[in-house]
Amino acid sequence: METDKSTDEFEWHTGKTTAVENAAIEFIGVKKAFGRNQVLNGLDMALPEGQISMILGPSGTGKSVCIKHMVGLLYPDDGDVLVHGQSVQSMPDDDLFEMRKKFGVLFQDGALFGSMNLYDNVAFPLRQHTDKGEDEIAHIVNQRLDEVGLGDANDKMPNELSGGMRKRAGFARALVLDPDIVLFDEPDSGLDPVRTALLCELIQEIHAENGGAYVVITHDIASARRVAEYIAVLWRGQIVESGAATDLFESSNPFVRQFLSGESQGPLGME
Amino acid sequence: MSAINTKGNSWLESTGVLLRFCGRIMGEVYSLKVFKYFGESLRQAGILILSSTIVIWSLIFIIGLQCGIEGAYFNRSVGSPAYAGVFAAWCDLRELVPYSFGYMMSAKVGTGIVAELGSMRISDEIDALEVMGVPSMTFLCSTKLLAAWMVLPFVYLSGVGAGFLASYLAVVQQIGEVSSGGYQLIFWMFQNPPDLLYSVIKGMCMATAIVLVGCYYGYNASGGPVGVGTATAKSMVLNIVLVHVIGMLGTQLFWGANPRAPIGG
Repeated sequence: METDKSTDEFEWHTGKTTAVENAAIEFIGVKKAFGRNQVLNGLDMALPEGQISMILGPSGTGKSVCIKHMVGLLYPDDGDVLVHGQSVQSMPDDDLFEMRKKFGVLFQDGALFGSMNLYDNVAFPLRQHTDKGEDEIAHIVNQRLDEVGLGDANDKMPNELSGGMRKRAGFARALVLDPDIVLFDEPDSGLDPVRTALLCELIQEIHAENGGAYVVITHDIASARRVAEYIAVLWRGQIVESGAATDLFESSNPFVRQFLSGESQGPLGME
Repeated sequence: MSAINTKGNSWLESTGVLLRFCGRIMGEVYSLKVFKYFGESLRQAGILILSSTIVIWSLIFIIGLQCGIEGAYFNRSVGSPAYAGVFAAWCDLRELVPYSFGYMMSAKVGTGIVAELGSMRISDEIDALEVMGVPSMTFLCSTKLLAAWMVLPFVYLSGVGAGFLASYLAVVQQIGEVSSGGYQLIFWMFQNPPDLLYSVIKGMCMATAIVLVGCYYGYNASGGPVGVGTATAKSMVLNIVLVHVIGMLGTQLFWGANPRAPIGG
């Protein structure tokens, strides 16, 4: 396998981007290191409101770290993260918890509570944050579980579910409070191609129905082609290029072209 | 608030981080913030009652039998078998009931908390709670502390009863060198209600430390399943040390200068 060796590690980071007028989430010069490992390296990125955005990039480039910054589970060493124009790191705890109610997050393995069955997992946010009665909660939960095809599994425990079912259950839980922003951390990991395609269709359908800003973290190009409206390509802690999906798939940038076509030859090697 | 990077590097720094963590959990109970999740506290209390009381009482009962047997034979050896109740009263109430309560709390409750919270941490369940807008430390840790404070005084008092019963059975029914009335006269003469209160305070200090240490190691577990196992072992070591430190300090404080007994006129 041949790779183009470059003396400048940011040679392909043109930073070319389409201006985002109405950003749901913005990263402004965000730097984050874990020990000596600099994960985010002055990241500038804006993700548009009302669209399905994808953050694409090779493994280990800081995509999941981006999600943790968006919801305030991690704070930048330098720079700022804005959600609907509000700085996450400068929020007091109470405001932060309030802001998080805007989000629904689908974790890689669903992150369902192992001590609760599927129904209680999905009902949990409603019971914690609303005054709805059990009848109304049951209606909403059953509706969400039906949407993700788990209407018959509501009494099952998470350890009785397959990986795909756990992801779909996590998706139902993420949606149950009708969040403004939904984050998906590698929704395709560990799924076979058919179930990945079905999950992508589900994401599109529910976004079309509910709207809001959806942000999908992945390195699966097939998923990107299916659902992305806006793409940001992340490598070495910075954006290589970002913009409308149709533009990115036509990009002349060698790194973007290599990554989005899955070629072995190009700037990206095994290092 | 960040749930990440709460672990210190040096021994001193780690101790400071642990104390700050414990202070925050206790602060959320004292400030009544935890009552927002009182239902979870009740659930935890139920789990504690159903899963831990029998095993705690059983250990204390066995220890009570031992205290009775040792006391009976020791007093026989010094020519005062009728005073077996002295040994049983002090052994049970002041020392071995608190210690056996602390041992079983460490082994059953403390490690259980580490395993539960640690597995939640490594499977992103704690992060999921946070992003749902639920303060995870309050929901997971402060509720457990409140549950322990609601339930464990009664478990402990019942445990003391189990220990007393066991010692009585050993001295009066098994060894049989003193009558029931004679045993009880001496047994109750060498203890009074403040001694019981002091004993409960010792036990509750141990329980509080064990729950807090369990929460700290579980909440901050990292490194996958191996990391959770390591955290469980570390918590057990620290809890056993703390049980003995609290036991020693309690004895010094409550009975060190005054034996609180009808000795020497």
